[in-house]
Amino acid sequence: MSYKIETRNVDLYYGDFHALKNVSMQITPKTVTALIGPSGCGKSTFLRLFNRMNDLIEGVKIKGDILIDNKDIYKIKTTEVDQLRRNTGMVFQKPNPFPKSIFENVAYGLRVNGIHDRKKIEEQVEKSLKQAALWEEVKDKLKKSAFEISGGQQQRLCIARALAVEPEVLLMDEPASALDPISTSKIEELIYELKNNFTILIVTHNMQQASRVSDFTGFFLLGDLVEFDKTKKIFTNPVKQQTENYITGRFG
Amino acid sequence: MLAFPKNIDQIKMRNQRIMFWIARGISYSIIAILILILFFILKRGIGVINWEFFSTMPKEGMTKGGILPAIIGTLYLVAGSMIIAFPIGMLSGIYVNEYAREGQVKRFIKLMTNNLAGVPSIVFGLFGMALFVNQLNFGASILAGSLTLALLALPLIIRTTEESLKAVDNTFRHASYALGASKLYTIRKVVVPIAFPNIITGLILGIGRVSGETAPILFTVAAYFLPRLPNSVFDQCMALPYHLYVISTSGTDIETSRPIAYGTAVVLIAIVLFVNLLANFLRNYFSRKVKMK
Ligand SMILES: Nc1ncnc2c1ncn2[C@@H]1O[C@H](COP(=O)(O)OP(=O)(O)O)[C@@H](O)[C@H]1O
Ligand SMILES: [Mg+2]
Repeated sequence: MSYKIETRNVDLYYGDFHALKNVSMQITPKTVTALIGPSGCGKSTFLRLFNRMNDLIEGVKIKGDILIDNKDIYKIKTTEVDQLRRNTGMVFQKPNPFPKSIFENVAYGLRVNGIHDRKKIEEQVEKSLKQAALWEEVKDKLKKSAFEISGGQQQRLCIARALAVEPEVLLMDEPASALDPISTSKIEELIYELKNNFTILIVTHNMQQASRVSDFTGFFLLGDLVEFDKTKKIFTNPVKQQTENYITGRFG
Repeated sequence: MLAFPKNIDQIKMRNQRIMFWIARGISYSIIAILILILFFILKRGIGVINWEFFSTMPKEGMTKGGILPAIIGTLYLVAGSMIIAFPIGMLSGIYVNEYAREGQVKRFIKLMTNNLAGVPSIVFGLFGMALFVNQLNFGASILAGSLTLALLALPLIIRTTEESLKAVDNTFRHASYALGASKLYTIRKVVVPIAFPNIITGLILGIGRVSGETAPILFTVAAYFLPRLPNSVFDQCMALPYHLYVISTSGTDIETSRPIAYGTAVVLIAIVLFVNLLANFLRNYFSRKVKMK
């Protein structure tokens, strides 16, 4: 069977700093993969490989192959980068809706990419808000500013915004770490739903969260992918001592 | 066991109080100074203020009559200079913060902007005369004066724009790129709207700066006395700060025109306050649109 995403011996440097070291990982379609590890070990950097967001940082050097649908995304034409980014939605740690209405936030990605048909946009906004489990809460105030809803709702709005352009891969960088427990569990339920249609990578600091939502887990340490396996395996019977130390909280 | 000094908590509390009262006293005295200035000017100038003062030409060698041409002139110059400086300043601020790569060139641009901000205004006046009045042949005119004042306000606007853009969290930009938006689209639709309320602060500061300046307009536009309103940008005009200077130093009869001088100061202050309020209102309007919870 073929993988949705694959990295082969990837090295990444910020100038002279070696941030990812020979990382190889294979990700099955329509699964959730959790990326765990202490701060600064390269989880966000790894996530940004897949929508080429690292390209925006000056002095970044990348080696190795990074494939989505068996296509090396660093060998595509510059004009295809936007299409790649459309194909990989991203959700950030802090909810960051744009200074626009709820409706316009979700419509943003459509307008950017040349869809102007009102009817089509309305349909797509509704569909995305439903997918993000937010529709019922905001359907009567779509014209209101996105800043008027709660932080948890804002984060689901950001998810809807990412879903609106119909990506296949969803990259989530600690999407619940700035939220309260109730909003967090809503996001977790949502991730569970979304994996029916999307391939999801999620960075998290929360071990319970990783074990609850993910099918696979990768443990990073100082730029190395120490261990990558089924989540069950990682959390019950890890192969590496470092992994066990980290997930049991005996890490120092 | 550790023995903490007796009364340590009372001492901390007392020190807090002392600092608090010193800080409060200083900030209140600043308000007091402002009120004192306003009171001083108002008391001497309020007597001449009536409708005629706003709406008529100066009379009898500027010892009587109104200051209409100076009011109109100042409004034209403020508007003219801001129409030129605000878009240009905003665009250069956007270039410096969003497009220029980190490095020598960017540092040099910033250094030059800061230097420009420190150039004395009389030097701008001389430069404006040499370039706009003579070289480009605009003559002493509203156009030349506005351009000169615009140069003066430019660094302020560039710097505020830069700072406002820098304050916009990078994740907003990244979220937009992640949806396939170009850099230009991201700047237009996301970054600038978020920063705009703060960018307007630059406009406010610029207005405050140019409306009170005399030196830059001295050789480029200001008329000593002009008993008619300007009817094109190539006309000269009177201006409040210069009018104030003229009637208090070199008028035909300085003593008799003293009240008019203070009246002119009142109007100048009132205009600056009014324009500031207006700009503040604008800023609040835009920041309500982009305000975070
Ligand atoms: N833009 C950058 N420039 C230089 N170094 C960076 C940059 N971003 C991240 N790093 C460094 O790379 C390492 C990995 O960072 P990151 O991927 O953000 O870690 P994590 O998400 O696991 O906390 C850290 O040591 C960090 O300091
Ligand atoms: Mg991170």
